[in-house]
Amino acid sequence: MGLLSILRKLKSAPDQEVRILLLGLDNAGKTTLLKQLASEDISHITPTQGFNIKSVQSQGFKLNVWDIGGQRKIRPYWRSYFENTDILIYVIDSADRKRFEETGQELTELLEEEKLSCVPVLVFANKQDLLTAAPAAEIAEGLNLHTIRDRVWQIQSCSALTGEGVQDGMNWVCKNVNAKKK
Amino acid sequence: MKLKSLLLRYYPPGIMLEYEKGGELKTKSIDLLELSPSTDVNTLVGEIQKVEPLITASRTKQVRLLVQRLQEKLRQHCDHNFYLFKVLRAHILPLTNVALNKAGSCFITGSYDRTCKVWDTASGEELHTLEGHRNVVYAIAFNNPYGDKIATGSFDKTCKLWSAETGKCYHTFRGHTAEIVCLSFNPQSTVVATGSMDTTAKLWDIQSGEEVVTLTGHLAEIISLSFDTSGDRIITGSFDHTVVVWDASTGRKVHTLIGHCAEISSALFSWDCSLILTGSMDKTCMLWDATSGKCVATLTGHDDEILDSCFDYTGKLIATASADGTARVYNATTRKCITKLEGHEGEISKISFNPQGNRLLTGSSDKTARIWDVQTGQCLQVLEGHTDEIFSCAFNYKGNIVITGSKDNSCRIWR
Repeated sequence: MGLLSILRKLKSAPDQEVRILLLGLDNAGKTTLLKQLASEDISHITPTQGFNIKSVQSQGFKLNVWDIGGQRKIRPYWRSYFENTDILIYVIDSADRKRFEETGQELTELLEEEKLSCVPVLVFANKQDLLTAAPAAEIAEGLNLHTIRDRVWQIQSCSALTGEGVQDGMNWVCKNVNAKKK
Repeated sequence: MKLKSLLLRYYPPGIMLEYEKGGELKTKSIDLLELSPSTDVNTLVGEIQKVEPLITASRTKQVRLLVQRLQEKLRQHCDHNFYLFKVLRAHILPLTNVALNKAGSCFITGSYDRTCKVWDTASGEELHTLEGHRNVVYAIAFNNPYGDKIATGSFDKTCKLWSAETGKCYHTFRGHTAEIVCLSFNPQSTVVATGSMDTTAKLWDIQSGEEVVTLTGHLAEIISLSFDTSGDRIITGSFDHTVVVWDASTGRKVHTLIGHCAEISSALFSWDCSLILTGSMDKTCMLWDATSGKCVATLTGHDDEILDSCFDYTGKLIATASADGTARVYNATTRKCITKLEGHEGEISKISFNPQGNRLLTGSSDKTARIWDVQTGQCLQVLEGHTDEIFSCAFNYKGNIVITGSKDNSCRIWR
């Protein structure tokens, strides 16, 4: 990739290119989701100490997906990546009920960010392959998603591990690329 | 005019003259780019005296000694074998660029964690953390050869000037409206130039902290910028496929180099300022006559985008690094490809000569940096150990230390 290609992906993308920001707590499954999207091997994934960028072709769009590490110490740096974001994807570990409050807090703060204002948000209720996973509806309620008024949003249950639900979510992304209210 | 002293410059070979003119101390250089161990010293000194009135008969002996010292240096075969000296868990997010001061005594690293750190090369100890930027610190530089100041350019649209000794911030240069992605001090260290994604470059006065001039005219992001050896001209390379030569004092456009058919990745002058080398995503490098602005050669052969290119210190050789995973060496005079460097298992994003000009250093997405023999193209060493791709790498001025910076948040000292 190199620094130069990061600069190329940084510049305001032409119409058919979409900049997607993938955020969520550590261990939510962001990198697994990214690799699943790129049809790459997901058997050896370690905590992301920085970021990963992948470009995926989908329905005539080039989706440039930025996966940013979710550990607490690097969350303050998320804002470095907000510029020019077309879609925000927020990933939640549906089986980690102890951290629902924490993940809700982070999402609320993201939605208050000026640089992300009006950016459509897709919430992936990930890890649905686990028996202990909370259903998407329960998570939506817990996070008060229905109170979001300033943008389009969607919650999609999925398993980044098996790939189930991932494509449905990306279909929504492609439909709502241009829904960013100017 | 009165000559005060004579100094040696090893790379590229030359003699620096310190002289007094109208009560002011000035310096100029006699470049000896063609010097080789077999050059006849007496003939050369005679030629120098013909063109340089400051070198009077009484200085002949001294100049002869200096030339002999340079020849000795050229004779010393530089075949340093590098080993991993230290791994520095430098930052909590990926590194961007690394740079050494001329003495090689310290180096700096920029990072996505919004800081720039100053390190002691000998011990690997952190000397300062330069904090204050509000976004990624991307472009960094020492004001070499002095090395007492550091400039940092950030995605926060500002550039900051720091004391290398104390870590104190002297100035914050505000004015760009998008990320700053390249910067350079002029050789006199009176001005710092910044290039931005806002399509402009700006020159800033180091003393006053004021903007001197804005270079406007590019139609897309400026991603590369460099001064010529005198500091009179500056070139900018842009994603608009062109390179522009500017007069550094007036900010006027001197030439627009049109010919590449994709984004520019690098643009620089040769040491004697006669040539400009440009690398592009169109898989070629071009050589331009710096005076006329005309293209004199197109260097072809790579199968994918050129990500970096450079001259050696004398300007006789050119090296190119490509996304095709290979690098090439060209003769700047004949424009012929001399060797092809094969072995990397991913794209090569950085390439540089050692100051002696007999080794090349490459950094790649395959997580390794490699040392190559310039003439044979043989890979001499693979610097392995980083766990993610290498974003930047550099030799020190002596050519016996290498610093690598990686996406794995660490940097490594090899010596």
